[in-house]
Amino acid sequence: MRGRGLSARLSAWTAAGLCALASSVAAAPPASKHVQPELVADVESIAAGRPFQAGLRLRMDPEWHTYWKNPGDSGLATRLSWKLPDGFQAGPIEWPYPEIFKQGPVTSYGYTREVLLPVTITPPTTLAAGTSVTLAARADWLECREVCLPGRRELSLVLPVRAEAPRPSGPWGPAFASARERLPRAAAGWAFEARETPERLVLVVRPPRAQAEIRRATFFPDRGQVIDHAAPQAWARSAGSYRLEMTPAPNAARPLGALEGVLVTEGSGGSTAVRVDAKSVAPSAKEKP
Amino acid sequence: MIRVRTFAVAALAAGLSIPSAQAAAVVGKPAPEFSAPDTTGATRSLSAYKGKFVVLEWVNFECPFVGKHYGSGHMQKLQKDYTGKGVVWLSVNSSTAGSQGYYTSDKVNALMKQKGAAPTAYLLDTAGTVGRAYGARTTPHMFIVDPQGTLIYAGGIDDTPSTDQTDMKTAKNYVSTALDEALAGKPVTTASSQAYGCSVKY
Repeated sequence: MRGRGLSARLSAWTAAGLCALASSVAAAPPASKHVQPELVADVESIAAGRPFQAGLRLRMDPEWHTYWKNPGDSGLATRLSWKLPDGFQAGPIEWPYPEIFKQGPVTSYGYTREVLLPVTITPPTTLAAGTSVTLAARADWLECREVCLPGRRELSLVLPVRAEAPRPSGPWGPAFASARERLPRAAAGWAFEARETPERLVLVVRPPRAQAEIRRATFFPDRGQVIDHAAPQAWARSAGSYRLEMTPAPNAARPLGALEGVLVTEGSGGSTAVRVDAKSVAPSAKEKP
Repeated sequence: MIRVRTFAVAALAAGLSIPSAQAAAVVGKPAPEFSAPDTTGATRSLSAYKGKFVVLEWVNFECPFVGKHYGSGHMQKLQKDYTGKGVVWLSVNSSTAGSQGYYTSDKVNALMKQKGAAPTAYLLDTAGTVGRAYGARTTPHMFIVDPQGTLIYAGGIDDTPSTDQTDMKTAKNYVSTALDEALAGKPVTTASSQAYGCSVKY
């Protein structure tokens, strides 16, 4: 979004022209041109009753992005609508923590280059070995650079059913492993407390003792209408804990009652994403919020 | 970016609140005053409409979310229905010159005719002044001002973020609901919501 050259601007115009053409035909399918979707699995074969993970892999052209579950100020979360054989169950998308995009005053959350969105699939307890199953899903996403195009694709994945335990996938194992590194962890050993006043939201963070010094942290709320996504978040150490100060969304329904989302911390120990589910309290009149 | 961060920390240390990244119109408060040219060359100011309900609709005809609402004829119908009831409807385009959705007045007028769009006026906010004053982030992003000049709604056009026209059958339209309530002298039940759409091309 920064350093946009003339050629990028020209191609943005071209995309805009194509989009205008597409919108003049009422029932035209969305014209995705910059994202290659694919359905993949973390196993080479499956077995009755043994959960495994499938994933939507999105490869994006340079400068294009797709969105996190809370897209931020603009955009649209990627969606998967499964069509599974009888007895199969699909869990929700497990979202790796996102990157931040700023376009003027508009701040959004999403992914560039490549992302794998894992979903746990549980097969039924009876499933004949020696057969195969087809997992199908429709993926819907919004791809944006300066301009946005909706994308939709019917995808499928065929997996053999075997009697033995599922074997990890050689080609896709590493991609799932790196996606899992960016998934928020359950906050075992962490303590969070949220305080809110009309002007600010404060997340008080007490990491586990073994946690290395945290130099910077960013909170990504699960939904919109909580924080002002574009406002700076101020991270400061204060007596054995940390405070992350945020600005509430301008027209959020208050009090929020809770801060729910993902805290991404950066320090000498690298980056860590932890799950935050903090009930919020209004600080007393004497207390600093 | 670094300067902003340093200032924020300094402000906190001094016990001040974090400066917001941008101004925003706040529901229940006076709506920000503005003056902007429309596509006929006239200047439109909010204060000129005191005594009337005013709808502000952020628009970019090339955005697929806007395309959903115009392609289905739904936005035009809202414009006709409510201007027929004395509501002032201002479409606002904050695309900067050369960015997506920016057009000359003649081109906008031709496109509006082609689409059957029927706002009271279409404002060219090329400098983004009106958009920034309201904190408009998306197209569409909707605001309603009451006859006293107070903002009574800010947010999305409906409750179903998508670019798919078939979703409109089940979507709850926040703007028509708020206008119907306000025109009947009732308080607005849902006075704010998360706007969804393309980013405004400031």
